Amino acid sequence: MSISLFIYLFGVIAFYYSLRLQVDGNVNNEMEKRKMSIIRQMEEAHSSVSQPPGRNEMVLVRPVEKGRTADRFADTLIYNKEEQRYQLFRQLGFTETVNHQSFQVQIFKSLEETDSLIVSIIMTMTVLVILLILTLLIVNRYSSRMVWGAFYETIEKINRYDVNSHEDFALQDSDVKEFSDLNRVLHAMTERLKNDYLNLKEYTENASHEIQTPLAIINSKLELLLQSGEMSEKQYKALADAYEASIRLSKYNSTLILLAKIENKQFPESKVVSPEAILKGLLESLDDLIRSKKIEVVKKFVPDITVMMNPYLAEMLIVNLVKNAVRHNVKGGKLLVEVGENFFRISNSGSEISVDENLLFKRFYKSTSSPESLGLGLAIVQKICALYGFEVNYQFRDQLHSMTVTFKNGVGTALNSEIS
Amino acid sequence: MKILIIEDEKTLSDAIVEYLDGEGHLCEVVYNFEEAIEKIELYEYDCMVVDINLPGGSGLDLIRLVKKKSIAVGIIIVSARNSLDNRIEGLEIGADHYLTKPFHLAELNAHLKSIHRRISFNGNNELVLNEIKLIPDEHRAFVLDQELVLTKKEYELLLFFISNKNKVITKAGLAEHLWGDHMDAADSYDFIYTHIKNLRRELLKKGCKDYIKTIYGLGYKFDLT
Repeated sequence: MSISLFIYLFGVIAFYYSLRLQVDGNVNNEMEKRKMSIIRQMEEAHSSVSQPPGRNEMVLVRPVEKGRTADRFADTLIYNKEEQRYQLFRQLGFTETVNHQSFQVQIFKSLEETDSLIVSIIMTMTVLVILLILTLLIVNRYSSRMVWGAFYETIEKINRYDVNSHEDFALQDSDVKEFSDLNRVLHAMTERLKNDYLNLKEYTENASHEIQTPLAIINSKLELLLQSGEMSEKQYKALADAYEASIRLSKYNSTLILLAKIENKQFPESKVVSPEAILKGLLESLDDLIRSKKIEVVKKFVPDITVMMNPYLAEMLIVNLVKNAVRHNVKGGKLLVEVGENFFRISNSGSEISVDENLLFKRFYKSTSSPESLGLGLAIVQKICALYGFEVNYQFRDQLHSMTVTFKNGVGTALNSEIS
Repeated sequence: MKILIIEDEKTLSDAIVEYLDGEGHLCEVVYNFEEAIEKIELYEYDCMVVDINLPGGSGLDLIRLVKKKSIAVGIIIVSARNSLDNRIEGLEIGADHYLTKPFHLAELNAHLKSIHRRISFNGNNELVLNEIKLIPDEHRAFVLDQELVLTKKEYELLLFFISNKNKVITKAGLAEHLWGDHMDAADSYDFIYTHIKNLRRELLKKGCKDYIKTIYGLGYKFDLT
């Protein structure tokens, strides 16, 4: 915009001067002709002649001492008494000698008319150009909205693209060939990405499923081997270690399968679940363990709180948080279980650990204190919360590690329609 | 008890048969869907151990088929898929238990034993083992006709031991049987030891021999030999 304005301004000035030059040239030519005719007349009359002023023209002749001087063109302003203002004149001065008497002749030619002509031409041009620019601007804006609209929509779509999402990556058709080419290529690219991703995912899922059977074989053979008797303590120890390891491996595996299933939204149906009921049942089944660690359990339940979510996932969510709180608890510690209006919180005693909250929810992140844990519990918690739009926060206060899950009312139902 | 084991993984079914050997069962093994159908249509079984994903078809269809023939048949599903739907469907169509691979052989054996008790005595049974007598339906146990004072867990522990007598039982298998899946919250199996200690003390107090042997910190064995 500013560049075009600058160019335009420059163009107007150049145009003005080129017109001026042209007109001056013309006027000069005319004055040359006039000069010739004056000289002719003077030579015929053998003296100075008073010239009748022509249209827009004045001629001054006066005798001078000196000999001839060169022709001189100039612009000059002359006061017009009638109109009481200065007017622009072109002037040609020259000397002519007739009968040994030198005369200086000055021809003045008014530039009023040509000047106003130039001005009106420039004015017309300016108006035309301004109109042109305005139309261009309007057309440009309109057409860019038409043409680039599809482009910006494409950008927005790419920005929001999630290879994990199940929506189709549909791009708007564009009349512009370049954009429809771009969309076509993008579409092909995302399809390829998605296919690769799905293949990879399917592969890992299948692998996980297939691993379960060989693991079952390993476990059962080890268990059989244990029955064979007549083994040294060393052999028993080796067997026991192998057995433990294969059990852990299968737990890893089934947890990874669970994570994949949550990601794939394979738990569509939602029901009204009561966190309180789940917590009570869970605490009961963990009772022996809790007592063996001499943990004091404190329950704070706001009655009749329910959440809309998949019952299995609800249990998984709570089980993993409580298990964590038990595992990382200290002997004689405290386990605080709360259900509130729109949250539930599991807290456990423990010394302060410097943890990065983001790291905490990473898969396979482990605190050093508990080598038995898989490091996948909180990853499951986070995945489930993400699925339902819940918030999960970690806090350490008053020697208590707290995990709070905040659910918004009605979220479960909204999610239900989204999934189905 | 006549048991049909339907499991396409030969090594696994072999392991099951070997573990059950000496328990007085008659085990038959098939490795695919068609063979299973053939067996089910030709013979009667008391119990069936069935994998869901079989070459040629679904184990669930086999369960429906065998249930049509006999009400009393006991069914244990062993599946690599720990899917809730599968589990619910399996139990709905009449399976007694659903074990997820990998499972403990001791666990499978305990379930088979409970099915066996149900079938042989119509539930009205006593389990006698030397000086020990159990009445599973009433959750009561006796030694030399004196009733043992046991908690629920201690009783279950005794039953599990007796079901897997003379076998080494790992702590992990024990914990999973008695406390379920959530026992990985424990960082050690110390809490099991308390229960074993109480059970042993009670048995000895009533004049029972000390059958419970500890196997190198690996597990236990209810040793009658």
